[in-house]
This record gives sequence, C-alpha cells and structure tokens, in this order.
Amino acid sequence: MATVWLILIMIPTLAGCGEGEMIDPSNPVTLNLWHNYGGQLKETMDNMVDEFNETIGIEKGIIINVTSISGSSTLHEKLTMAAHGDPGAPKLPDITTAYPKTALILADKGLLTDLNSQFSKQELSAYIPEFLEEGLIIEDSLYVFPTAKSTEVLFVNTTLFNRFARDTGAKIEDLQSFEGIARTASLYYEWTDRQTPDIADDGKIFYMPDSLFNFSLIACNQLGAEFINDGNFCFSSPQYKKVWDCYYQSAVLGRFAVFDGYATDLAKTGDIVCSTGSTAGVSFFSPTVTYADNTSEPAELAILPYPVFEGSKKTAIQRGAGMCVIKSTPEKEYAAAVFLKWFTSPENNLRFVSSTGYLPVTEEAFGEIMSREIDNLSDDRIKKLLQTARIMQQDYEFYIPPLFDGIDEMQKEYESQLRRVASDSRASLNHLSDSDKNTAYQTVAPAAYDDFITRLSKI
Amino acid sequence: MKTILNQQGQNLIKQLNASARCGIPMNTRLFRLLIVLVVTIILGVIAILLITGTFTAGLAERETFFQNELLHTSEKISGQYGELSVQVIEFSKELSGNIEEKAEQLGISVSELANHPDKLERIIADQFDTTYYSLEKFKSSGIFFILDATVNPTLYNSQNSKAGLYLKNMEPNIINSSHPNIIVLRGFPSLGRNNSLSLHTQWRMEFDVSNASYYHLPMEAARSNPELKLSRLYYWTPVLSLPGTSEETMICSVPLIDSQGNVFGVCGLDISNMLFKLSYKPQTTDYNSLIYIFAPHRGSAINLGEAMVAGGYSSRIMSKSESPLTISQTKGAFYSYHQGENKSFWGLHTPIYMYPKGSAFAEQLWIAAVLIPEEDIVRSMTRLNVLLISLLTILVIVGIAASLLISKRFLKPISKGLELIRSEDLSEAPRTRIPEIDDLIEFLANRNEALYEGAKQNNLSFTLLDDFARNTETLSPSERSVYDLYAQGLTAKEIAETLCLSINTIKTHSKHIYSKLNITSRAELLLYVNLLEEIDKDR
Repeated sequence: MATVWLILIMIPTLAGCGEGEMIDPSNPVTLNLWHNYGGQLKETMDNMVDEFNETIGIEKGIIINVTSISGSSTLHEKLTMAAHGDPGAPKLPDITTAYPKTALILADKGLLTDLNSQFSKQELSAYIPEFLEEGLIIEDSLYVFPTAKSTEVLFVNTTLFNRFARDTGAKIEDLQSFEGIARTASLYYEWTDRQTPDIADDGKIFYMPDSLFNFSLIACNQLGAEFINDGNFCFSSPQYKKVWDCYYQSAVLGRFAVFDGYATDLAKTGDIVCSTGSTAGVSFFSPTVTYADNTSEPAELAILPYPVFEGSKKTAIQRGAGMCVIKSTPEKEYAAAVFLKWFTSPENNLRFVSSTGYLPVTEEAFGEIMSREIDNLSDDRIKKLLQTARIMQQDYEFYIPPLFDGIDEMQKEYESQLRRVASDSRASLNHLSDSDKNTAYQTVAPAAYDDFITRLSKI
Repeated sequence: MKTILNQQGQNLIKQLNASARCGIPMNTRLFRLLIVLVVTIILGVIAILLITGTFTAGLAERETFFQNELLHTSEKISGQYGELSVQVIEFSKELSGNIEEKAEQLGISVSELANHPDKLERIIADQFDTTYYSLEKFKSSGIFFILDATVNPTLYNSQNSKAGLYLKNMEPNIINSSHPNIIVLRGFPSLGRNNSLSLHTQWRMEFDVSNASYYHLPMEAARSNPELKLSRLYYWTPVLSLPGTSEETMICSVPLIDSQGNVFGVCGLDISNMLFKLSYKPQTTDYNSLIYIFAPHRGSAINLGEAMVAGGYSSRIMSKSESPLTISQTKGAFYSYHQGENKSFWGLHTPIYMYPKGSAFAEQLWIAAVLIPEEDIVRSMTRLNVLLISLLTILVIVGIAASLLISKRFLKPISKGLELIRSEDLSEAPRTRIPEIDDLIEFLANRNEALYEGAKQNNLSFTLLDDFARNTETLSPSERSVYDLYAQGLTAKEIAETLCLSINTIKTHSKHIYSKLNITSRAELLLYVNLLEEIDKDR
C-alpha cells in the first residue's frame, strides 16, 4: 500500500522532469538573439529560428527571441556600448552574431562564455579547425563560435567578357592572377574605347576589388610579406609596392574602379566586367545588366577562385561573423549551446548557407552533403559558388585577418586614402590623351605614392 | 459447569461465523459502502465540472483570447494604415508642387514630360531629398513616385515603362533608425551613386506598369472624378510582387496632380510582408501557432495570394499559391477556415475599413483575421481534458485504495473482539478501547454468569452433586485429608505446609482427587463443596 502512495505522490514530480536535462520544457528559457543579417539572410535566419522554436525549442524548453540590428557596424556599436555600460545602452542579449574584433572587447570585460565548456572535444572535431581557430580570441577560450563563414572569390560577367574575348582573344584563364587581370583590363579599356570612335578616351572599367584593404592584405600575404605588423601598416616591403602599383596604375588609367560602394552596383549597369568580393555577395548580383538608355540583357555570372599574384602562394581571406554567448545562468548558456549545435548541424548549416552564399562550418557539410546539395540546388549562381568554394577549400590557405583594437579605423582610412589618391591622380591626367596619360603617369605616380604613405603614416 | 457454558458460547459463535460465511462478510459490506460513497463523490465532481463547463473551458478561454487579439490587431491595422494613407496624401501634394515647379524651371509643363525624356533625370533627381526624408519619416518599407513618361520611348513595350524613383528601407522595423538601410529599387543609377545608396539586387531603371493597379487605378479614378479630393483617391493594393522582384508588398498610391488638374503620375509607399510580419508577429507564448491575416474580402473566401500573413513557423503551412481560404461558421463564436481538403483552421475575423465615405474605392472590403490550425486547438483541448480525466482516474484509484484500507482496519478490532470472546474467561478479557466491543464482551460475560445462575436455580446439577458426593467416598485417607483442606479454602501450598508434605505430593493427590471427583480445577472443587454446603443448610 505504501508503494501505491509513493507512486501517487511521485507522479506530478516525475511528469515535469526529463532525465539529464537542465531545463524543464514546461518552464522554458527565453534567449535574446541579436544578428545583423540583412535582406535574404535575415529572412532565412528568421525562418530557421522560427523552426527551432517550434521543434527543438518546444521539446527542450528553449525560446529564441530575435532582434535584427541594421549592419555590422551598428551591432558592434551597440554591443560595445552595452559592454562599457554607456548611458542609454541596451541590455546585452544572450546570443549575438559578432566579428572577432567585437568579441575581443566583450571577452576582455569577461562577458563571454567559453564555449569549450558546452561542446565536447568530439563535437568540436566536426568543425573546420581554421574556423574554430578564428574564434579562439584569447588563449584557448572559444568565444566566437563559427556559424557561417565566407571568403572572397572572383565574379565575372561572362556575357560581357565573352563578347570582348571573341573580338580580342582575351582568355578567362588570365583572370587567375592579378597581373593577368591588369593586362586584360588594359585590353578591355582599349576595346571599349574603340566601340565609340567618335568619342576619344572613353574606354571602360574592367575590374573592382570590393575591399581595397582585403585586397592589399591578401595580396601581400600571397607575395610573402606582411601588410600589417604589430598594429601598423608595413609599406616598406617591395611586395607592398608591387600590390600598390597593381591597383594604383590600373585605377588611374581607368582600368580598375575607384568607387565608394559595392562592385555589384557597377556590375548591374555593365560598368565593370569582374570583381573580387565576399561569397556572401553572390545574391546581390543581378541576372540582367541595364544600360544607360534603359536597354538591358541577361548576364551570365562565372565564379572563379580568388586571383593570385603570379608565382605566389594561393591564399584567400577568411571572413564572416560567428556567434558569441554572453555569460549568464548555466541554463541559458546550456540553451544557447543547444541552439548553436542545431544551427550548425550539417543539414541546417547547409540549408542556411545554400540560400545565402556563406560557407558551411563543418567538415561533414563541406564534404558529401555539400556535393549532394550542390546537385539539388536550383540557384545556378549558388551552385557555381559552392563548387568554387570546394576547390578553394582544397587548394587555398585561408588567412585570418589580424585582430586588434582600432583595425576598423585603419581599414576605413586606408581605403579612403587609396581611393582619394587614385581619384586625384586620375583627375590630374583626365585632360590628357591616352598616350600622353601613360607618360604622365610615370611622373605622377611616385609623388602620389609618397603622399599616400605620408598621410597613412600619421595614423 | 462453566466449561460447558463456554462450550455452548463457542458453539454459538461458530454458528454465527458459519452463518456469516454463508452471507456477505462485514468488511465486504463496509468496502461496498465506501465504494458507493467514492463513486458518488466522483460523479458529483464530474457533474460540477460539466455544469461549470470545465471540460469546454479551454474553448471558452480561447474565444475570449481570440476576441481580444482580433480587437487589438484590427485596431492596430486600422490605425497604422490610416496614418500611412494620410502621409501619402501629404507626400503627393508636396511632390506634385515640386515637380510642377522643376518642370517649369526646365521650360516645360508636367503634361509635356513624355515628350522630354532628356529632362526626366534632372526632374526626378530634384525630388530625391523629399522622397528620402519622407521614407525616413514614414513607418513603411518603401516609397516611390512614377511619372507618366519614359527615358527611351523607342524601346519595345515602352508604353508600359515609366520613369520614377523607388527607395526601399531594407530594415524598417529594427532597433536603430538613425542609420536606415535605404537602397534604390527603381530609378536612375546616378541617384544611388550620387547619394551613396546601393542599388537593390532587383534594381531596374524604370517601372513596368503593364499590370500595375497601383499606377492605373488612382490615375483613372482622378481623371474620371476630377471633383474628388486626394483623400478620396488613395488606393491600397492587395499583396503583390512588383515585376522582377520577389518581395510581397501592399502598396498605397495617390495620383500626382498639377495645379491645372492634370494627372501626371502616382506616388505612394509600401508595406512589405516582412514589415507586416515583424509589426504583427504574435507576442503570446501560449499560442505558438497563431496566425494573423489581413486581406481583401470577396464573398466567403480569403485569397491568401493577396493577403498579408504574420505568424510563426506554423503560418508556413498556409500555401499562398493554393486554393483560397473558405470561411464557414462553426460552433460557438469560432469560424472554421479551410484550404483544400487537408488544411483547417479555427479563428475569428472582422472587417477593416480602409477608405472613407465617398472614396473612389469605397466598395473594396478588407478583413483582419486571427487563426490557429485546427489540429493545434484540438490537441490543446484534448490535452486539457486528458489531464482532467487522468486526475479523476487517480481520484477513483485513491478512493478504492482508501476504501480497502479503511474497511480492513475497521474490521480488525471486531475480529480481535471475537477472538477474545472465544477465550476461556471473558471476565478476565482485556479492554479493547472500543466501547461497543467492550460492552459486548461484558454482556457475554454477564450472560454466562446468568446462565450459570439459571442452571443452579433449575437444579440441573443435582445429579452431578450426588455423583460428586458419592465420589468423595472413593477417596483414599490421604486424598481425603487433602480434599478436606481444599474444602476449607486452603491452597495447594498451604496444604503442603499443613500436612508437612511436598508440593509435588500434594499435586499428585490433587490429580487423583480431580480424577475421582471428575473435575478439572480447584475452583470447580470449591464450587461443588459450596453447593453441597448450601444444600445441607437448606435441608
């Protein structure tokens, strides 16, 4: 009889407990998540969070409450305000997307959870080591968990390129190197100039690197030199001079773009043929090109591995924010880890990246699952992108940009000064004919370089 | 004599037990009684639950919840859409004046725009600031104006290509509004590049107005009803996607009219489905699968392809491309909504009045609805009732167990009492602390005594006494001396001392005495002696 009473007393207690679980599903934990994914990425992210809430979330008692923040810089600003306890700063979320530079500030304040405590060694071994390494921002503490990464690739409008190649014999293989791109850009300038014989010197731009800073950083690394050392620019190496010449000369002579915006904007109007930029930018390329007279044509897009200086090592940048978990209660930290494990499981991770242009973060997702997924993709551009990403994953070394306080400002200033000097030099040669420009360039260039170095040395 | 009486009493009890075994035992009777009590209580509880409507309380609670949600949502929609309508009207007035002025500066009138494509870029660029700041001010996801003109009239289908400007706020409902993410969806690329705005992925230079109700209807209404004010000419489209775009939006447009009454284009704003979803996302944690719908209402169906839908992951089971959602009344206040054969929802809806009286579009009806998948509501109701039934079942089990326990414990002292009654000497029986049983034992003890007394009175024992007296003569001299001392009231020990014999010798004599006199104890011996003495006295 006593056993019957004991069972009756225990029924309500047993009903509420899951064996080995930290959270009671009938009393769920709510996590606030901030992310800065915009546009298509936002919709995909929101849909996945909804799905988590209504499947695993219900089962395990976890609710993710999403707040979208406009842009990575605003997110960085809000997180650092909250970390410093500035007046009017919002309350820190429980999970947030963050670049390592932001995570560094939060980790220094002791606000981040070391995710090594939430993942077993076996679980972590499933992730690509370089992606995990980027998150080890202080000693061996995993503060930034890789959720979706990106690198840079070369996007080529083959509709324009093939038309140009048919007339000139230009080869797309030449675009494998920056020197080849510069040579092809000259060829393209001359070819486009010839299209309008009645207007002199109106050749068109061929190429634009989306980020001049990343271009310089990776190009120097490919050539075996450092672009930044101990928080300062290294302009003294011959390798950097080679990188500078590559961009500056082509930009001044109208072959490379000098534009404070995204390359995809110029691509939409046929103002450039190719560009280097983040894989995540693939969805921003329009399937058509519209010209100034409102005529338009479909545009085929080829996606090639990141160009390499001739004879140098194959290096490409490793980019993309990860997710940080803010220190709170054991239940919340556990719940955050459950979400991250679900979000980065090969199937879900690939689902996220296959609609966004990001790269998956697990070896498994990069392997067979990706091969299968590539075949099933309806978006031809994403398919090409993932195929190229697989090639780069095998052949390239991924370079993690240096991380220190102030690198953001250095990047902005570098790009702004480089555009300014290229733009000024171009303007000073504008009144000259093309043949005179080449001669005048030799005079203008050294002074411009010295001026540029002087200005940036003052930072 | 007493032994005989005890034997008679025991026989009586045996007879009683035997008769009890033939009928229903007392503990069974008690158990049955308690079960009847438990069942009565359970039935009473069920009756109370039925009368108070507890089994259907979930449904009633949901009705109230849905009514509140619908009221709140419909008021919010009316307020937000009404405010935007007013803002678009003001935007139209400002823009019409500015465009007319700029055209005049360029030496043309607005009605001549179509003949001067070369001037369009300058006229449109001149409106950039007004458009941009209006978008910052409005709670909308996009703003636009379209002129009845194109930059290239020689192109195929150029009659459906119209110049203008369309700016989109990519994240209209985010925390930070100081740095809005505004980009150019339609318009000259120079406008984006000169103002540091990116071009939308689905950017085109001009608007394709071939099937654009937001372009044609307000302009036609203005031309057909020149007496109507702008406040009677604004028009809200159902949800649509602009040609070449994937985003679903609702557009509000108002004609552009110059000071002479010439209609030369439209301006307006949009609310994207994403903005609607973010603005009206269910905030309750009780109903994860709640869905809000705002749609044109025609007949007894909702065309989901024209509807704004907000909700969680569950709202995705509603397919916009499938058949419309048909509405039918169900029990209670809820309506039933069906899409095809497999998808059913429960919910409520109410009309939303988008236009004032006298509007050119006043006949167009809209509704707001709050729905939940039928399987979810049934599941949650079932869950509640299963819980209630489980509790009642537990109550029944506990009642039966308690009845069993109580009936057994209740009968235990009675059984003990019976054991006592079976014992030799009722007068020596311990108290049971149960008054009724103690009274029974006392009663039986007294009754034994009375029987004994009665027997004595009725001379039933004279023969026995004679036999006893005759048997005393058979005693040996030694036994006789012991017997005499017993008759004087001495104990065996006292006799041993008196006769200077061992106690064992006295016991041996006693054994022989008892045997010859046909008795079993000293008490019986004394009883016979006393009786004989009394008889002698009587004689």
